[in-house]
Amino acid sequence: MAASEQQCGSAPIGTLVSGPASKASVSSGLWVRVVWFALLLAAEWAPLTNLVHKYWGAGSLLEIATASGSFFLALAYIRSRESFDRLSNELRSFPIRWSLLGLHLVALAAFLGLSVLHSSGFVVVALWYGTGVLAIGLAGCALVPPRLAYGFVRETGYAWLYALAAGLVAWRVLITTRLWNGAVWNPAIDLSWKPATDLTFSLVQALLRPFLAQLIANRSTMTIGTPKFTVTILPWCAGFEGTALMLIFSTAWLLYFRQEFRFPRALLLIPAGMLVIWVSNAVRIASLVLIGVAGAPAVAAGGFHSQAGWIAFNCVALGFVILTRRMPWFSTMPREEKKERTGQNLTAAYLVPFLAILTAAMISRAASGGFEWLYLLRFIAAAGALWFFRAQYRNLDWRFGGFSLLAGCVVFALWLGLDKLAGPHPSSAIAAGLASLNAPQRAAWLGFRIAAAVITVPIAEELAFRGFLIRRISSADFDSLDPRHYTYFAVFVSSLAFGVLHGERWLAGTLAGVIYAIAFLRRGRIGDAVIAHAVTNALLAACVLFAGRWDLW
Amino acid sequence: MKLLGITLLFLGVSGAAMATAVPEIDPSSAGSAVALLAGALLVIRARRK
Repeated sequence: MAASEQQCGSAPIGTLVSGPASKASVSSGLWVRVVWFALLLAAEWAPLTNLVHKYWGAGSLLEIATASGSFFLALAYIRSRESFDRLSNELRSFPIRWSLLGLHLVALAAFLGLSVLHSSGFVVVALWYGTGVLAIGLAGCALVPPRLAYGFVRETGYAWLYALAAGLVAWRVLITTRLWNGAVWNPAIDLSWKPATDLTFSLVQALLRPFLAQLIANRSTMTIGTPKFTVTILPWCAGFEGTALMLIFSTAWLLYFRQEFRFPRALLLIPAGMLVIWVSNAVRIASLVLIGVAGAPAVAAGGFHSQAGWIAFNCVALGFVILTRRMPWFSTMPREEKKERTGQNLTAAYLVPFLAILTAAMISRAASGGFEWLYLLRFIAAAGALWFFRAQYRNLDWRFGGFSLLAGCVVFALWLGLDKLAGPHPSSAIAAGLASLNAPQRAAWLGFRIAAAVITVPIAEELAFRGFLIRRISSADFDSLDPRHYTYFAVFVSSLAFGVLHGERWLAGTLAGVIYAIAFLRRGRIGDAVIAHAVTNALLAACVLFAGRWDLW
Repeated sequence: MKLLGITLLFLGVSGAAMATAVPEIDPSSAGSAVALLAGALLVIRARRK
């Protein structure tokens, strides 16, 4: 064992050595670690039960392993009490190994990624089993060192064999015994999916009851609503995805910033975050029903349905970060006092206009049934943010040269060329949406759409991706970094991030990002990148208006 | 760099996890949603310094 682990070993059970300067270490006996292990796996795997059962035998193996492990611990405690106590005492000398817990998360993420692939080839299935087993194994090794575990199993003789046999018998009995209603008890369904969906259904019902006099709630079909508008709560929209995302986010956050938190109590934040996102999903479904009943079924089933999940997740994740920081019981950082801030938040000046566009886009999409009639929100939000930070932009170099005009034209040609290679795109809802508006409304919508494309979007996106991200990746003190001292890695990452934001046109977006970066880095002038971007967008707008290429918007 | 790391990790996981069309979380909005979250976190962290 490493010397540092031995040094931390003198702390008593549950003792925490915390603070930015000292590594947090936790020591505890076997029972405590077993409970932690069970809680960790339950919190992680319960939302993923549909994935665990994807390939043959995996769910059964997990059930057998759980039953055998439980039997083994019980047998060891009864038959080899001395070994059990000795292991508990030894474990007090070993802090939990957070690095292995971090690797456990990486393995879990790989398992998740492989789970959603549509391939059932041998390599994918083998990797899927491997990463699943590895994730569980790493969690176990983080809590109980393998050397101690092996020694303990040896000291308990054949207890492992009896436990394995008992686990197999228990599993067999479980899957063959029929309940009073003729059904077979399935732990995955009866312990996770069904109660979770039932709970979501009950929550939605309770939330809607005060608002809807004619509420119809059929639990057998999971249908809820009114005679006018109903929705069916399927198992996979009962909150599992949001919960899984929150689990990954909160665990990664605690892991990365572990020196800012008090452990083990900070671990409570993980189930708390999952619970909040679960409840927010019920609120989302209830809101969806209310919007549909209020006379906007297209909005309910369209924009709101697709955006509300992300809006809820972003709110909960940001709330998690902000609130936990302000809770001294969880946070080791000193309470932020209301001190006068002398420095300017330059990161905000570079990013907020772009974030304002993203926020406005989410809201306007959520309020749309197909055609985004509230598009002007994006222009207003970006213009407001740019105006707010205007003083901080005065020091930037807004000059531009002929190269930026040329770069804009090259990106335009590239965009159309790649678009042609990609084949036909699905028809846009814009043309039909505009046709439903009267002439002044149509002119106003087009005016804001063009103004956003040519003015606010280029400025906001170039500030964020070229002005900020390229330099921020190269140095934390990004503002003092000369743009011409860039790294290829920074250009690649910022361009790829820019491309990802353009959805199915990600390749064209990435290449456009590289060209705008060249325009910016050539002379270190943000004006060059903005003008290049504006020229591209202006040419695309002309294509839309004069050639009817609505799919380009 | 920690925040960049966590963003890239999360983008990778959410991108992979949301590769199929699902009712609760719209996969086509994953890019902008994660960008919004990561950007807001960068602003919050920068505000503390």
